Order: sequence, then structure tokens, then C-alpha cells
Amino acid sequence: MQVKAKLYPKEAARLLREHPGVREAVTGATLHFEANRKRAYQEIDAEIWRERARRVKDHLLTHLDHYLELAEKRLQEKGVRVYWAEGPEEAHRILREIVARHGVKRAVKAKSMLTEELGVNPLLESLGVEVYETDLGEYLIQLLGEPPSHIVGPAIHLALSDIQRLFHGRFGTPLDASPEALAAVARKVLREAFLTADLGISGANFLVAETGTLALMENEGNIRLSTSLPRVHVAFVGIEKLLPRFADLALFLPLTARAATGQRLSTYVSLIQGPAKEGEEGPKEVHVVLVDHGRTTLLHDPEAWEVLRCLRCGACLNACPVYRQTGGHPYGYVYSGPIGAVLDPGLLGLEDTYPLPYASTLCGACYEACPVKIPIPKLLLTWRKRAVERGLAPTWERGAIQAFSKVMQSPSLYRFFSKALRGLPLPQDLLPLLKAWTEGRGPLRPSPKPFHQLWQELKE
Amino acid sequence: MDAKSRILSRIRHALKGMPKALLPEHPHPALAQDPAELFLKRLAENGAEGHLVDKEGARKLLADLAQGLPGAAYGKGVPDAFRLLPELPPEEAPLGVSRALFAVAETGTVALSSEDGRRVQLLPPVHLVLVEEEKVYPSLLEAFLDLKSFPSAIGLHSGPSKSADIGQVMVKGVHGPGRLVVAVLQGSW
Ligand code: SF4
Repeated sequence: MQVKAKLYPKEAARLLREHPGVREAVTGATLHFEANRKRAYQEIDAEIWRERARRVKDHLLTHLDHYLELAEKRLQEKGVRVYWAEGPEEAHRILREIVARHGVKRAVKAKSMLTEELGVNPLLESLGVEVYETDLGEYLIQLLGEPPSHIVGPAIHLALSDIQRLFHGRFGTPLDASPEALAAVARKVLREAFLTADLGISGANFLVAETGTLALMENEGNIRLSTSLPRVHVAFVGIEKLLPRFADLALFLPLTARAATGQRLSTYVSLIQGPAKEGEEGPKEVHVVLVDHGRTTLLHDPEAWEVLRCLRCGACLNACPVYRQTGGHPYGYVYSGPIGAVLDPGLLGLEDTYPLPYASTLCGACYEACPVKIPIPKLLLTWRKRAVERGLAPTWERGAIQAFSKVMQSPSLYRFFSKALRGLPLPQDLLPLLKAWTEGRGPLRPSPKPFHQLWQELKE
Repeated sequence: MDAKSRILSRIRHALKGMPKALLPEHPHPALAQDPAELFLKRLAENGAEGHLVDKEGARKLLADLAQGLPGAAYGKGVPDAFRLLPELPPEEAPLGVSRALFAVAETGTVALSSEDGRRVQLLPPVHLVLVEEEKVYPSLLEAFLDLKSFPSAIGLHSGPSKSADIGQVMVKGVHGPGRLVVAVLQGSW
């Protein structure tokens, strides 16, 4: 996927200006998810669950070479073909060969963030393969030609009226069609695709090393169908997705579900051990592609590697007051919100992503929500510090911060500037700091009285 | 060097000198009350229907579900006693009947094996699952620790297919069955 993270501040302002409905849709959806997560955490001893999950993942990551080789061995024993890919180039080569060998004409895809990273859909389309995203939300944004705006709810930025308009143009449904009616139309199209596709493509929530089990979570049934009906199944798995033992799933499946949607378990879990046996329904071939794409670079980074514990549950997005304003699109890459702000610089390099660690108030809500206790606020500060050290942060910022701290430390200077700025017509376009703010927003309007004066009056 | 050796050698390099984290033991499962009862409660909370039935009750349940239907699709492990309706392919059947490997009370889950047939579990709009009472585990952990043979795929189903992707409104039966009914079978079969 093309990376546009550098444009974050501009894109965020533009989105708020041009698509004001997005804020409402995203806020509504994320607050709903967040309330469900909180309720679901309260039902269990969340601190114990999260701590145990953190420790299992840390063990896994500090023995990653061992577990990767074990997983490969177990998968191969069950007749699964295993490949290793550094990034998109190799992943594409592997997929191209499979498509050619099986004469694939139609593919059904289960939502996977890694395949977004790798640009699997554009590749398949260039090979003349008809690709159907089968998660309902993912199908909607595929029709619109948009990237996902949330890890778990890729279409949460769309209001019902957006979808009614889309389906009206596409399938001729009435403009006031109910969600049930719209879902029924999508179901029909996609059912046909499931029954006729040659290839099913998925990611994986987990890959158990001990047994070579792929675990996939969902609520619609599209992943079960994508991995059951076509004769070939290809799963792309990030190398950090492993778990040591099968029984670890008893912790990670429900914990992920609680963090993501507040459910005790997602409606469907697929536990895949290999291709169908003689006389059994299911794919005749299962291929697993183990993908690095920046993960080993992160593992090398003692100040940033903890982000590799991430389960992609989206809980930090739902908890984030900054993400809530815009949804994921302005972040300019597959991963948005708090996790994107600390993962994207690690995967892609800070040069292309340096505004993202600033897209946070450091309130800490993301850390409280995270099921594997990734210290996101600490990592945000690490990346900000590096951005400053490498001179990536705008030069005016350093001067402005220095001047600001001088003023803030001296009551007399503070009073002077607070009066002076209040009296002046603001030179909005002269100061770059103000320009970055005012571009795409209304003018700054200082309150008539300074805060310390209001505070005095209030006390009296 | 191929991709595998490159990736593994980078990992080994990164891990050199890094303290190794210990793998925590699995927790002790909590003492269970009556798992079948909890299972039925959780199923209901998940939007599915559960019934604790003896042989007679099971047949009655099936007869109720089958009323007015032209046929049903059956999993391989479904006993003859439950094949009341003519068999239809899962693509066409209005009802699918499966036999579960096991069930889990704490999450309200039935575990379905690929050996029983995958299409019958997914394609018909209504899914009836049979599970013996003694196969209801209190927790996921106990069920997973006990699992000895692994079919090519296990599906854990905990309710009807659902999605809130269209305007945050919950819709059932998006891809999988919109109705899940579980019969917990008492006594011997
Ligand atoms: S960082 Fe934590 S909360 Fe955010 S997606 Fe990853 S696991 Fe979930």
C-alpha cells in the first residue's frame, strides 16, 4: 500500500472540513466498541489476563526463531506448504505462481490487514483474477475503492445513508432500503462468489507453533466460508502472529474478542490444521506464507519492539480521542490510531511517518485498553524524541517550544504576551505555527479575558 | 541466501543478548458449576437457542424445526434417528443438522469438525447442532487441553452469523446461518 502518513495533519484537517459526517460515524461506533470492551474487561480479572498474555507474547518473541521453525515443521507434517517472504515482492511471486498453477479466475478474501500491507488485491486484479472482499464492511469499501479505516470495522466511517446511496447506484436498491435489505443483497452476490471461487485468501489471528494451527476470528462466517469452499487456501501470516501452545488459544481467543468487540468469543473461530483429507470437504491445498515486512527490524529495536505483541484488536483505536475525530484514513497507512502511530514508524521508517507519533494527547487510554499491555504512550514519546533528534520535526517547532517554555516560566512575560496577543489582530498567516493550524480551519479567536483572570474571578 | 535464512538470521541477531522471557503456566481452571446449565445460559446471551433434551425431546425439537421444510442437510455423524427429512445438498437445504465434537460452557460455543462436513455447518440459513451432555466442557482451556486429535479444520460457533457493518445496525445471517439451535442430549445414544 502507498504510504501517505507524512500528510497526516493536512489530511486530518481536510477530512474534517470536507466530510464532517465521518467524525459522527466514527465517534458513535468507537464509543460503542469502547463501552462494550470496558464491560467485558470488568467481567474478568482483566489485569491478570493481560499480564499473562503479555508474558506469553514476550516469551514467543524472545524465542521467535525456534517457534517459527517449529511451526513450519508442524505445518509441513500436515501437508501444508510453507513459504517465507521478506515483503510484497516475494509474496507476490508466491501468489502469482499459485494463481498460474491452478488457473485461478475468482478469489474470495477474508479481511486481513497484512494483505493490505502487501497489496494483494491490486496484484490479483493485475493477473485478471476477480477478487471479492467477503467481510461485509470490507466489501463496502472495496466497492467504494477506499482503504479500511479501522482494523476491526473497516467501514465504520460510513453512515447508513452513504451505503444506501452506494447500493442504489450499484444494485438499484431503494434509497431508503433497510440495513437488512442491503445485507441481503450483499449476501447474495457474495454467496455466489463463495460457491464459484477457486481460491480463498486469508490472514491469521494466530499460528500455533506446537500444532501448526491457524486460528481466525470473525462474526459473519465469511472466513469459515473462504477457507472451506474454494479448492485452494492461501494464508498470509506475519511472523509475530505465533503462539507457543495450542492451549494458549484458550487465553488469546477470548481476550482478543473482549478487547475488540466486548464479546466472550467471536461468533466464529476457524482452527485450521491442514488441507482436507481424502473424501472430506474443504481445500485440497493449504499454503501458508510467513511474512516479515519490517517485523525483524522492529525486533532489533530495544526501545520499540514491544509493539510486536500487538493482536490487531483495535481496542486502542476505540479508546483514542484523536482517532475518534477522523477515523483511520488521514493516517495514510494500513494501521491507524495509536497502534499505527507506534507501528508504522517501526515498519516503514520514521522518515515517511514522523507526524503520526504526534497524533496523540498522551492520555494513556490506549494502554489501559490494550490486551497485551503495549506501553503505547511511552513508545509515542520514543518516536517523537527520535523525530526531533533526526531533525524531522519542523524547525520552527523547536524554536516555538523553546520560546514557549521561557514565557511559561516567567509570570511577567506570560502576562505580557497574554495581553499583547489578545489585543492584536492575529497575524494568522505570518506565523508558521498558526498557519499549520488555520489552514482548513476557522480563524483563532482568543477569549476576551485571560484564564488566570477568569480563575481569580471564579475564586472570588 | 533464501528468504527463510535471511529472516531467521536477522531474528537470531536481534535476540542475541536480549533476556529470554519465561513462558507462564496455564492457569488452573475455575471450579465449574453445572456446565450444561451455564452453556444454555451463555448460548441464549449470544443470540442462539439451546435445549437440554432426552431422546424423545430431541426428536420433537427436530420435528418442530422441520415443519414445512422440503428437506435438510446432514453432517456425517448425525444418527439416523435425526434424519427425519429427505436429504438435500447444503447449498439448497433450508436446515443443516450437525453433530458437535464438544461444547464449551463459559463462551456458549459448539466445536464442529470438518470430518462431519463443513458446508452443512455454514450454508443453510438454520443450523441445528447436536451435542452430548458429557461433552460440554466448563471452559475453553479444559476443552483445548483435552483435545487429542485434530481434524483438518475445527469451527467454533457461538451464535448466529452477524454484522454491524451497515450503519452500526446489527443484522443476522450475513453469510453463515442466521439461526443457531443447539440440542444438548441427555442419556445414552
Ligand atoms: S496495540 Fe493493543 S489495543 Fe491496539 S490493536 Fe494492538 S493489541 Fe489491540
